[in-house]
Amino acid sequence: MKKILFTLLLAFAVSFTQAQSATEIISACKEAMGGAAWDKIDGLRYIATVEQMGMKIPLDIVTMRDGRMYTKISFQGMEITQGAYDGTTVWSTNFMTQKAEKADDETSENTKRTCKEFPSALFHCADLGYTATLEGEETVDGVLCHKIKLDKKTALAEGKEVPNIEYVFIDKDTKAIIMAESELTSGEAKGKIAQTKYSDYQEVNGVYVAFSQTMGVKDGESQAITFEKIEANPTVSAENFKFPGE
Amino acid sequence: MKQILLSGALVASSLMSFAQAPVLAAGEYFGDLKARHIGPALMSGRVGDIEGHPTNSDVIYIGAAGGGVWKSQDAGVTFNPIFDDYCQSIGAIAVSPSDPDNTLWVGTGETWTRNSVTIGDGIYTSSDAGKSWKKMGLEKSERISAIEIHPKNNDVVYAGVLGALWSNSAERGVFKTTDGGKTWNKILFVNETTGCSELIMDPSNPEVLYAAFWEFRRTAYSFNSGGLSSALYKTTDGGKTWNKIHTGFPAGQLGRIAVAVAPSNNNILYAVVEAEKDKGLYRSDDGGASWKFLNGDFGLVVRPFYFSRITIDPKNPDIVYKAGLSGSISRDGGKTFKGLGAMHSDIHDMWVDPNYSERVLVATDGGVYRSMNYATTLQRIEDLPLSQFYHVSIDNREPYFVYGGLQDNNSWFGPSDSPGGIEARDWEVVGVGDGFRVYPHPTEPHVVYSEMQGAEQVWRYDTKSQQVKNIKPYAGQGDPKLRFNWNTPITTSVHNANRLFIGSQFLHISNDRGDTWKKISLDLTTNNPAKQMQEASGGLSADNSGAENHCTIFTIAESPKNEKVIWVGTDDGQIQVTRDGGTNWTNVTVNVVGLPANTWCYHIEASVFGEGTAYAVFEGHTTGDFTPYLYKTTDFGTTWKSITTSEITTFIRSVQEDFTNQNLLYVGAENGLYITLDGGAHWSKFTNNMPSVAVHYLELDAKSKSLVMATHGRGIIILDHTELLSELTPKVLEANVYFFPTRPFVMSEKSSFGGTGTEHQFVGNNPSDNARISYLLPKRHTFGKMSMEVVDETGKRVAKLEPGKQKGINTVEWGFSSPAPKSAKGKTLAGGALFAPRVKAGTYTVKLTKGTETFETKITTIYDPQSPFTLKERETQQQVTLDLFNLTEDLAYLVYQIDTWDAAVEEHTKGQSKPAKNLVSLNTSLDAIREACVVTKGDNYVGAGEPQLREKLGDIYSTIGGYYGAPSSSQLENIATLKTEYNKQLAAFEKLKGSDLKKFEAELTKAGKPAVVVKPKEDFLKED
Repeated sequence: MKKILFTLLLAFAVSFTQAQSATEIISACKEAMGGAAWDKIDGLRYIATVEQMGMKIPLDIVTMRDGRMYTKISFQGMEITQGAYDGTTVWSTNFMTQKAEKADDETSENTKRTCKEFPSALFHCADLGYTATLEGEETVDGVLCHKIKLDKKTALAEGKEVPNIEYVFIDKDTKAIIMAESELTSGEAKGKIAQTKYSDYQEVNGVYVAFSQTMGVKDGESQAITFEKIEANPTVSAENFKFPGE
Repeated sequence: MKQILLSGALVASSLMSFAQAPVLAAGEYFGDLKARHIGPALMSGRVGDIEGHPTNSDVIYIGAAGGGVWKSQDAGVTFNPIFDDYCQSIGAIAVSPSDPDNTLWVGTGETWTRNSVTIGDGIYTSSDAGKSWKKMGLEKSERISAIEIHPKNNDVVYAGVLGALWSNSAERGVFKTTDGGKTWNKILFVNETTGCSELIMDPSNPEVLYAAFWEFRRTAYSFNSGGLSSALYKTTDGGKTWNKIHTGFPAGQLGRIAVAVAPSNNNILYAVVEAEKDKGLYRSDDGGASWKFLNGDFGLVVRPFYFSRITIDPKNPDIVYKAGLSGSISRDGGKTFKGLGAMHSDIHDMWVDPNYSERVLVATDGGVYRSMNYATTLQRIEDLPLSQFYHVSIDNREPYFVYGGLQDNNSWFGPSDSPGGIEARDWEVVGVGDGFRVYPHPTEPHVVYSEMQGAEQVWRYDTKSQQVKNIKPYAGQGDPKLRFNWNTPITTSVHNANRLFIGSQFLHISNDRGDTWKKISLDLTTNNPAKQMQEASGGLSADNSGAENHCTIFTIAESPKNEKVIWVGTDDGQIQVTRDGGTNWTNVTVNVVGLPANTWCYHIEASVFGEGTAYAVFEGHTTGDFTPYLYKTTDFGTTWKSITTSEITTFIRSVQEDFTNQNLLYVGAENGLYITLDGGAHWSKFTNNMPSVAVHYLELDAKSKSLVMATHGRGIIILDHTELLSELTPKVLEANVYFFPTRPFVMSEKSSFGGTGTEHQFVGNNPSDNARISYLLPKRHTFGKMSMEVVDETGKRVAKLEPGKQKGINTVEWGFSSPAPKSAKGKTLAGGALFAPRVKAGTYTVKLTKGTETFETKITTIYDPQSPFTLKERETQQQVTLDLFNLTEDLAYLVYQIDTWDAAVEEHTKGQSKPAKNLVSLNTSLDAIREACVVTKGDNYVGAGEPQLREKLGDIYSTIGGYYGAPSSSQLENIATLKTEYNKQLAAFEKLKGSDLKKFEAELTKAGKPAVVVKPKEDFLKED
């Protein structure tokens, strides 16, 4: 019995050391990115004008601590909403009909499972029931980073529960998040690795936010967006999030 | 004492000078410079192992001979590589029975030991289904044949290690770990020449394992399979004790043994035994205690070193698959066999879905096939670019085409750039059998030279007329038999387009495209008779395929500076040079200091910088020597300097020098590409989208500066824009931002029509034809603003670009677009109105703002020289496009004014149950103008409204803007019509402004309401 207890204690101690190490890095990261000031941020609004092939496409993205969010794109008098969530329904505008349509069940369910991650799943992973472990060090864009594995339990993919793992790379020196990486679990690109890189951090209401994000597939194409303005605690009408109805 | 002080000072001084020498660590500055893969995948490449998830039939893993591990999560429809950072030669894959969603093991080093097989570097495990990997030892195992995981204890793993092929080795046998791979115990070892070729765990009892041991050896000139040490062993106590189970097996020497136990009945085993006599299939019905000979069919006993794999149906112990030349299946417990369905020959493994027996995947020399009917009919999986090139050459076209031969997969050529990407249909066969060196005629690339193994045939193929001629040289009167290597060297000349060289033990030259040949050397090899006994090769199973031909010339290099200077390297380690076109030869081998005798001279690169300068690559893997050997001479081989370092971690096969920077060299190693910026003092491995794959040959295109790599497992991989690397000097690295110089960018006018590949066929990436603005950052930009814009010569911004932020090289692309016009708001999308005109040829300034600093560079754009259009035609097109651009914005402003007034009328009448008639009429009039200007109803698909002025204008505007010649008369007529229509609507609005709108404005004033604010046009256009 003593032996079992000792083994258990040892196992606990080992896992605690590991967890503490990841926790310390995450804590330092949060501190470097604004620390307690994040507690006063309930939402962020990102404004950008994406210029592609000479076209200017205004973008308005809002994410709220309570999980609500939307992305609105405007051009030629049309307003297209994508990936909106009002707390109940995930929806987007169908480009062809310009009418709102609900997302499929799996997308909705996965959104509900992760919608409380604002401002970052990393900063309150324990509250979310996620597990963070330190996987070692890796160089990203020439920056030596801590590699943190974030086990976000499971996600639904084509009718199955699959692991929902995200790797977050934190600059060892500045503690800024440099990149997040996860495997795409459904669709045509299933099995490929999605990457988001963060840069151009600037202060907004006492916290540091990446004004530039580059999204793409590992070793494949990527697209960067630089935000002209990021507003903390934006005043946004609930109507903007709300599914307009069938 | 003084002397000691002096010596100390000298040492300190030399150390200091060493410390101060600038280290050009290229690897820190590669940045976003990235390799692109062009495949092809239509013939794929050799695959040695297939494993599946035990309960989820969607999840399948394949291990390629030289192309890594790939995972499918859709039952084989698509695959993704999951092992690119590690050794690409795969021996075995195992999925944990108790944790199949997470735990995987990979043993590196293919075990189908043909002459071109490469080496592994240990065993790896993943705890997240392949997302990340950890090496778990067995680094010197070279080849891992099997991995078995305890079904209830994930930490207990057995590894069958075949071990070294080319040398003695102690790291072979059966290994066991009980701590998840942290430590390994060798639990069964026979001797240093005999390894474990198969290891099988009893499906019902994990304490029972069967281990086949094989005595084997390969040299560069022979192969032996079999001996008295080969045996089949069984343990019933988890590997503590082992016993031979040979009752019923033939006596005498044995060779490679394939063994399998039936998943549905653990008493039934099958073994295919290579032996002196009675070789064939044996069956045991008592767990191996006794064996009964069943069958010695050709399909079962053919080439045991290449085909020793048995797979038994998971539910029916009488259905047995045997790997082989074509593969076989028995449905009567092994009594009789028939061939598998049509597919590429050389079958190495069969995986039967444990949940649906009819679903079978087959691993071949030509990739993976999938069947839904017990391998009766099969379809090839088309997105596995595993092609194994031995060599690559390129032609002088722009864009260039690549040429090369493949292991068991013919000779091919294909484009480096093709509409819609480089697809299967773009590749053309120019030779059959195993393909090796393929060269286009230097000035007539439709004429292609190719060969098959051992130069059995050497072809000159006219791809236009499809005429093919065998131009192989023959022994002349009095000559000995010509000895040609399996991978015979052929090369063309930069001095004489019709010249061709080929090497046997002699160097042969032809100046008439191979019609006639002249011998221009004596035997340049050691001509060692002991290494020319290929008839005796194979051991228990004769195997004289030509793969072991030796004492042959392997590489030929004519100096680009002087056609009389020709270098030859041989497979038995000789390097010889002539300075008079072949009359006299000097053997300079002895001058290569530090090189073990008879080390294979794999490649000689004659330098463009001096006729006496050359690089020589030697490699000794066929003696178990994995040291990289690269030497440089500048005096015709009188002296050689070693220019490798320990940064290159394995043996190498090829070298390529840059044509402008003498210090920039590339090396093709067995584990990838290495680059030096300082002539070999330091090397860095290039890993950006570049797997750790064997690179057999390198070629540099002088025009595009693309480095083209023949990989033996991942097809052709290209590193474009090496001119950036040639600019990397210590001075450049000191700058805050360094812009690389650029050549004028050609604004390509190719069509944008795509290709014809199906959804899941592999399509190779094209190079970019955008403008590329490249700069070097000394460190990553993480905090603060960073932006980039392009301005024209008047200072007007023509593009905003997203700059890269990483340390090292960053490249931002610009597609030559200037801003699109602001177009009118409507109910639906008018795609044509979004068209952004291309900029004119000229000089543009790129401004990079980083924090408070701005850095600038200039770039030049030019029109496509291939274009048929005159400058005058372009000017006409540009002027008409500009007119339409302006008209699009004029219309946008007109619609904006209508909308503004209309909104004011609506606001004014809001809540009124019966608005005044004049306002209703005004509203109607505004609506009528708007409806003539833009679509106001319908959707963006088949419910679209009738196109109006905006849509029609957008259509003609984008049509004119997207074609770089002058508009046609009918197009100009159409524009005139639209202008008339616009003017009509404008006039109608202006009329309203002078009458009804004026009255409405007065009414607002009278009612104390604010006046309608209509922005000036300039302000309106500035808004996003």
